[in-house]
Amino acid sequence: MQPASAKARESLKAAMARLADGDRSALEEIYRKTSAKLFGICLRILKDEKEAEDALQDVYITLWRRADRYDPSRASPISWLATFARNRAVDRLRVGKVRAGSVPEDEAAPVADKAPLAEDMMIDAERSARVHTCLEKLDEKPRDAIRTAFFEGRTYAQIAEAGGVPLGTMKSWVRRGLQKLKTCLERGE
Amino acid sequence: MSDDIPPEDMMAAEYALGLLEGEELLAARSREASDAAFAQEVAFWQDRLAPLLDQIDPQTPRAEVWERISAELESTGDSAEIVSLTARLRRWKIAAGSAAAAAVAAVALLVLSPAQQAIAPVPQEPVEAPLAASIPIGDTQLRLAVTYLPERQELLVSASGLTADGVHDHELWLVPQSEDTPLLSLGVIEPGVERRVTLDAAVASEFADGSALLLTREPLGGKPEGVDAGPVVAEGRMQVI
Repeated sequence: MQPASAKARESLKAAMARLADGDRSALEEIYRKTSAKLFGICLRILKDEKEAEDALQDVYITLWRRADRYDPSRASPISWLATFARNRAVDRLRVGKVRAGSVPEDEAAPVADKAPLAEDMMIDAERSARVHTCLEKLDEKPRDAIRTAFFEGRTYAQIAEAGGVPLGTMKSWVRRGLQKLKTCLERGE
Repeated sequence: MSDDIPPEDMMAAEYALGLLEGEELLAARSREASDAAFAQEVAFWQDRLAPLLDQIDPQTPRAEVWERISAELESTGDSAEIVSLTARLRRWKIAAGSAAAAAVAAVALLVLSPAQQAIAPVPQEPVEAPLAASIPIGDTQLRLAVTYLPERQELLVSASGLTADGVHDHELWLVPQSEDTPLLSLGVIEPGVERRVTLDAAVASEFADGSALLLTREPLGGKPEGVDAGPVVAEGRMQVI
């Protein structure tokens, strides 16, 4: 992996702007630059290659049809795209198209092409450090719960069940953890 | 639970993480749509958590996935031109309020129209940007949406929601740029109908950003020859979208 150079970031931003103007070649360029990252995310959440491919297709089709949803003043394009892909994958879990966690994580070996990785774009090294530092400061239980929710797309009920604790207990752990996390993240503004 | 910490409102974070389901999820979604502060809070969490996604190793998808995306865009006829126009209308709608909804509907009509199939690939540089106007009708909620497509010299007129009174017709007029030219008729409005009109080059050349449109009340069939136009009942301006 290499950090996204300012140049790579700007060229992605420019492609997003062309996309909003209906330039089809911009979609292809964005796909070339970001699909490996977004596919990795979809695969991680959905743990099924077929599902992840469908999710990825859905992500780029939606991106094309609703290109105006991206606000360049708000987020870096790769951060926005990664979040968008994650949310779409989580949505698929919620509508019951996929049985969540049907395969244990370490068995969900990717079977995708072993082609050379597309250029990977890092989201934001500085903020990355911040969120990691802040997560480390949390107690183990809320930290694990938050990480599981984020990376596996699990709901409160699923996390509580997996941890063998009552739902109310899990909610109160997580809420306190989130409150602490928020304070810490804001300090890093 | 034994702690007496008052439950903080962490719904934005819970929603951003995807912890919610069922009614709580629906509640969070509707809050995101209606409550700007909440939406901003959700965005805060998304932005701050997004860097965690860098921990996930990239995986190159099979080449087939791009082929499927490409094929889906082809099969649904998402021509770049239409998408572009829709995006422009949407931006304009944000600026102008929901008034342009009918203009968007007019574009949908264009997309669905069979004539669309025959249209040649998009010119790289459109001569001019499309123009649109949304004309409020009296003190009603109704609006007449007019969209002008310069590269085709076509006018889309959406009068959906309007009904005929059986006594009058309404005629749409373009106020020409040159002062000594009389009003140019853009035709009689057909209530409840989305209409596409190909304009004469002479009429088309009078369209510009800011051009005024007038709607007059006329006898059935439109303004008779040799008589002044009826009273102006509504007006609007064409704007670049």
